[in-house]
Amino acid sequence: MKIGIAAASHYFQPLGDADTLPALDDMLAGLCREPFRRVDRFIHLALLGSARCALGVALQPDCGLYLGSGLGPMGSNIATQEQLIRERNIPRPFDFINTLGGSAGYYIARNLELSAQNVFISRRGASLQAVLNTALADLALGIMTQALVGIVEEVTQPLAAHRRRQGLPAGTAVAEGSHWLLLQASASAASVLTTKRFASFAEISDYLKSVWRPGDQLRCSGRTESSTAAALQRQFAEVSAPHPNAPFHDSLEAAWVTEFVAAGTAGNLYLASGTPDRDWTLFHFGT
Amino acid sequence: MTAMRSGKASPEQLIVDGFAEPLRLPYYRIPDGAGSFDPARFQALLQQVVRQVLARAGLSSAERRTLPVFVGSSCFSIGSSEAGYTQALVRDARNAIPMPFCGYQGIASAVQHALGSRGDTYNYNTACTSSANALLAALRMLAVGEYPQALVVGAELANRTTLAGFHGLQLTAERVQPFDARRQGLVLGEGVGAVLLSAQPGSTGELRLLGGANNCDGWSVVTANPDGKSVAAVLRASLDNAGLHAAQVCGIKAHGTATPAGDTAEALGLRQVFEELPPLSVLKPYLGHTLGACGVNELVLYAGALQQGFLPATPGFEVPDPQLEVHPLRTEASAEPGHYLLNHFGFGGNNTVLVLEKPA
Repeated sequence: MKIGIAAASHYFQPLGDADTLPALDDMLAGLCREPFRRVDRFIHLALLGSARCALGVALQPDCGLYLGSGLGPMGSNIATQEQLIRERNIPRPFDFINTLGGSAGYYIARNLELSAQNVFISRRGASLQAVLNTALADLALGIMTQALVGIVEEVTQPLAAHRRRQGLPAGTAVAEGSHWLLLQASASAASVLTTKRFASFAEISDYLKSVWRPGDQLRCSGRTESSTAAALQRQFAEVSAPHPNAPFHDSLEAAWVTEFVAAGTAGNLYLASGTPDRDWTLFHFGT
Repeated sequence: MTAMRSGKASPEQLIVDGFAEPLRLPYYRIPDGAGSFDPARFQALLQQVVRQVLARAGLSSAERRTLPVFVGSSCFSIGSSEAGYTQALVRDARNAIPMPFCGYQGIASAVQHALGSRGDTYNYNTACTSSANALLAALRMLAVGEYPQALVVGAELANRTTLAGFHGLQLTAERVQPFDARRQGLVLGEGVGAVLLSAQPGSTGELRLLGGANNCDGWSVVTANPDGKSVAAVLRASLDNAGLHAAQVCGIKAHGTATPAGDTAEALGLRQVFEELPPLSVLKPYLGHTLGACGVNELVLYAGALQQGFLPATPGFEVPDPQLEVHPLRTEASAEPGHYLLNHFGFGGNNTVLVLEKPA
């Protein structure tokens, strides 16, 4: 199935111990219909990415919203647990409501005046694949003609605690981000997305060899076992080295994809995921 | 099922300590003999439920290995995180961090461990529509041939965050009285359910999940628009999706939280779509509001009732609300072959309706 990519937005912010989280207010200025109160950073990141992606684009009345995240709204969950357990208080209502992943979808819908499908989906290390699979199925079935697909990952401070939760070594760089694509059933857009399934490593490898052009890029998702990812990437070694010092970000593949599409990069980006004992999925983003 | 047949069920009093004054909340608890907030319960109950479903389905080991798992929950592993933080504070308060376990993968991982599966996972967190949305997504994935089968799990167990959070929102009541003029709020409950969906036609007489729809309105982050328009829209979209007219609906499992605003929105939405309302049942008086898991839990219960040939009564509905003009069944009725709707509405203005077919 071939799907058009009508728009994309990319926000990715690596952070080290000396850094403070960037203020989002200035970036959000002019992007929100109303000043949303009692919202957290996760919601701000979601509003920022979705509004930038939809800027200057006509959203259809049936446009679905597919928001994904590996870790979800960590800041509100931390605040709620602090109130509940350390302070022994009833959580503040809006902190409690904002602990839900789907709350960000409400504010996006309100901001962009969306009223159709609205879901929040998580798959640790591969949330982009989960939301893309879901949105592509709905587009294929004609449930909607347009789908706004986004991934948001929030970083909380102190970074030492953030790293401990993820089991990361001290000093590891981390990144927050908001990565968005506007998909449409018509493939007339400048960029397209196709997806294919393969029964084996050999099949996906043969297919990639048959379509590969100089300048193409291949990435393997976080769920792909490192040995098979390395084997696949060795065959396309000239372009496949993923950021060697990439900061920790649960949806790094979403950052690669939206950076590629938003920049209007020529050529093709392939995102592969799979394991030796099961089939492989290949998402192809191309011009 | 026993409670639904008798038309009687009631919650127990749950004491939530850890505050200046312990909270005393009515709660529908799974009677498993374990402590209320024991995080080990999650694993045990999940494995028990998943093994029951798989034993009935008779999947091969190869099918189990690639079976995708769709999970809907409001709380996911928050109970484990609460326990971990509480213990860490006792051990070493200076170094304890809140939310020591985070993310949404815990339930799916436990299910996959029980299955021996390495298939795809999808974790839905859209408040009270979570597992209804998981069901709808799984159904659509089967329809496009992405998977031949899918396991859909709804899981919600007692945790302090949810209990104290709802208490703080002042949405809870002593009794569940759906659509009743005296309704004051919801009573929470816990439950773990699982459904195996298959793209292959089932045996004769087996219920079919035909379709459904989801939408969202921007009225309020805690409820659907009380004018009922977004509820009416999702009801119409679900009927369109299943190729049905309102007159073909034989019965409705209402969401029926028994909150003043929630029942108003649902009632007004229903009346905009149906000239004459089909028989209406609310299941929350039997198991409480299991929040993100209610889509799967209430589907399992309603489907069980349909298979046994009855539409459940709604205990707690006694005094009709003249503003709603919705009258759930006070005594059970016969369930005929035909089409049935299952309503789910959640925080974030998120609305989902599923369509079920009971074959002749």
